[in-house]
Amino acid sequence: MTTLVSKLRQSTAAAVLAVTAASFAGDAFAKDLTITVWAGGTNDSDVYRLDAIEMAADMLEREYEILGEELNITVEKKRDFADWAAFKQAVTLAAEAGDAPNIVVTSHLDIAPWSQAGLIVPVEDYVDMDAWPLNNLYDNLVEITSYNDVVYGLPQDAESRPFFFWKDTMKQLGYSDAEIEALPAKVESGEYTLANVLEDAKKAVEMELVEEGYGFYPRVSNGPDYAQFYQSFGGELLDKDTGKLLLDKQAMTDFYQFFVDAVEAKVTRKNHIGTEWDQWYAEVASGKAATWHGGTWHYARYTGKEGLDDFFGNIQFTLIPAGNENGRANTITHPLAYLLTAQDDEDDVEIAAQLIKIASEPRINTLHAIKSAHLGIAREQSNIELYANDRWAAEATERLLGQANAQPNHTGYGQFSQIMFKGLETAWTGTRTPAEAVAEVEAEMKATLGDEVIIR
Amino acid sequence: MRRAHLLGLGFLSPALAIILMLFLIPVLLTVMFSFTNMSTATGISGGAYEINAASLRKLADAGAQESFVETLGKESFVVDDAGITAAAAAYGEQFANEVGSQMLGERFSSRRDLERAFRKLKSRPRSTRDIKKAANLFKRSVLNIRFETAGGLVGAVTDNGIEMTPDQQELLTKTIYTGWTWTSDNFALMAQIPYVWRVAGNTVLYVVLTLAASVGLGLFLAITTFYLPSSSATSFRAIWFLPRILPNVIFVLMWKWLAWDTGFLSSLFANFGVPPRNWMLDTGVNAWVFIVLINGIVGASLGMILFGSAIKSIPQSMLHASEVDGASRWQQICYIILPQLRWPIMFICAYSTLSLLTSFEYILLSTDGGPGGATEVWSLMAFHTALDNYAGNLQYGLGAAMALMLVIVGILASLVYLRIFNFNDLVAKPRIEQ
Repeated sequence: MTTLVSKLRQSTAAAVLAVTAASFAGDAFAKDLTITVWAGGTNDSDVYRLDAIEMAADMLEREYEILGEELNITVEKKRDFADWAAFKQAVTLAAEAGDAPNIVVTSHLDIAPWSQAGLIVPVEDYVDMDAWPLNNLYDNLVEITSYNDVVYGLPQDAESRPFFFWKDTMKQLGYSDAEIEALPAKVESGEYTLANVLEDAKKAVEMELVEEGYGFYPRVSNGPDYAQFYQSFGGELLDKDTGKLLLDKQAMTDFYQFFVDAVEAKVTRKNHIGTEWDQWYAEVASGKAATWHGGTWHYARYTGKEGLDDFFGNIQFTLIPAGNENGRANTITHPLAYLLTAQDDEDDVEIAAQLIKIASEPRINTLHAIKSAHLGIAREQSNIELYANDRWAAEATERLLGQANAQPNHTGYGQFSQIMFKGLETAWTGTRTPAEAVAEVEAEMKATLGDEVIIR
Repeated sequence: MRRAHLLGLGFLSPALAIILMLFLIPVLLTVMFSFTNMSTATGISGGAYEINAASLRKLADAGAQESFVETLGKESFVVDDAGITAAAAAYGEQFANEVGSQMLGERFSSRRDLERAFRKLKSRPRSTRDIKKAANLFKRSVLNIRFETAGGLVGAVTDNGIEMTPDQQELLTKTIYTGWTWTSDNFALMAQIPYVWRVAGNTVLYVVLTLAASVGLGLFLAITTFYLPSSSATSFRAIWFLPRILPNVIFVLMWKWLAWDTGFLSSLFANFGVPPRNWMLDTGVNAWVFIVLINGIVGASLGMILFGSAIKSIPQSMLHASEVDGASRWQQICYIILPQLRWPIMFICAYSTLSLLTSFEYILLSTDGGPGGATEVWSLMAFHTALDNYAGNLQYGLGAAMALMLVIVGILASLVYLRIFNFNDLVAKPRIEQ
């Protein structure tokens, strides 16, 4: 009996030991973690911004498994923010409360303020920029996601913001097919300017080809697009020598005046700002407007949800035309970036870094580029059939990206662009004349940006 | 203290807690924030010290010597004995020996170059992160390092052999601090921005017009429903109460449907040849009409209930007597009802002024301050500045200063109203009990 009891005791002890050992061993090799990813400005067609992280997690788990470690990553995705303002408010306040998502997909413009505040950490501290796939990224895009010569983020997509013409209306205005085909080159060389846009738009309204207010149908809310018109009239956003922001009063006045002229000529509505986006998309994709401007990603919306079957047969796209002899035809690229937030556990940051690295694989990024009609981030994408065979990606890259510049990464740029747009709105709606609006802009920039802005 | 006092305090405690949590603490924090330059870039929880291209530019602007700025801005990685000893401790002798034998004395101007050199070594650490950490052991400059304290930064600068005078040290730590600092500039800033003055004007317009609309409509409804048979009066009151109990978003959405280019008004007027337009945002005047209507209708329901009950408390005999004397309805309203509604009207005016000053949700949802800032009111501007704008550059300090102005105006207005009401008279004991 005693032997039986002692044997029982021994085996129980052995079993307890074995179980303990197994669980400790498990602890040593298995790592479970949750990576949260938040993406701003992300619609149904942009889901690969988030899904790419999931795909990357799968790949990283497999890599770890081969190295004999068990890694279980749960990716939590969030993109249901009302707009950019709501997204940025959510990210900043969550980060201040110590509850930031691991990865954010946002404008490269957030890098400057967020890095100063310590909300994000440099991605170059965690990944090898010389290794695949990061050594294949376009250098200019990596430059855009850097600040103070430090790579803070990885470019998630590229785009640019073209000017659009509805071909049928242009034909009725007297343009031949050949002339419409030659329009992009004419815009680029500065032969066709915003003055011509106004002229054609006015004719289109007078000939009743389009309704009043639909000759030139701009973006309905604040956005980088409006800085393009400032550049069209010779404005520059940053003084390269001093690294300070630049307010060119003459260019700003001319830029505001253009929109005021458009309203006076009845080609643009005075109350245009604030129009619903859904209505706007439906109207431009159905030829209700003669000319307008938008983004390369609009292609997905026009041909998808809005049901425009023959994009190239109906729409011509060019750079934003020059405004006058001081300016140039231009377009702004506003890449989104994957950013890593500061976390208590550095291991989590490293895993997140590896995930955004893998998500930058040309093949994975191509899924996003083609589904959402954005442009690629890496050179090798042109060797991937899905990308290479897409007419829009190919033509938009060739026609626009060469002339594209980005807005500056500067802690004061957010305020700069906000004040610039506010000034535009007051002139556009007739609350102030362009000269008065610029005077207000100057006063406000001087007061809020101080030394960080040069006024010319 | 008697037990009864404690009990009273106990009963009061929820109210005290609410006052503390929802009024005093927010107000104190607003006061605190408004005397800072806090923004997204400075962060809320505090800053650090970092020498980088942007902060060096600020340092030069602040008058630092060019040579000093240049020395601080130099990036350098040097393979020296100190670094090799540190590498041996962290990543093993083999790696350290290899570095020592092949690279001793070499200088690199960026970490990336040093990483590249390390990757050629056989015994290098096999993870990217470790290579970067190993490279940092050889860093002999202070560029792009985040120091939590000024002492840490100064120590690192001196460790790297950069001499500083006390003045230079003070200028450096003051200029390159990334966090917020105390300042009273926000108030001067507000006065300098022309837009702020326009918004102040808008706010006065908003309060006066909306108050007039809601009190006027409230009075009209209270008086007209008073003269209706009680059953239909109740249904009318219920209908007019709907806007108040309807979620704000839905209420405003219905107004938007009414006013959109493709909405009800446009479709209706299209029959008369009027081209469609967004009636709400067409001009500043249009936007104001809608703002006043939206807010006025919501506000009217409160007035209607209060005035309605006040009218009911007027002794019926007075009205009967006036009818015997041959008074018309209009005379009854002018000589009996309105004079006795003086206090409720004043109360609604006072209460609504204060709540209108701080309320912006209906404007935010309908025009969002547009067109061109024509309907931007003070509280909405504070919200946009501090918490919600497209560029994401949240200016907590300036926004709080704007909000503080509202608190001050609110308190002043309350004092003025208390004086007009003669509050002591209102709470005096009825004469009959004296």
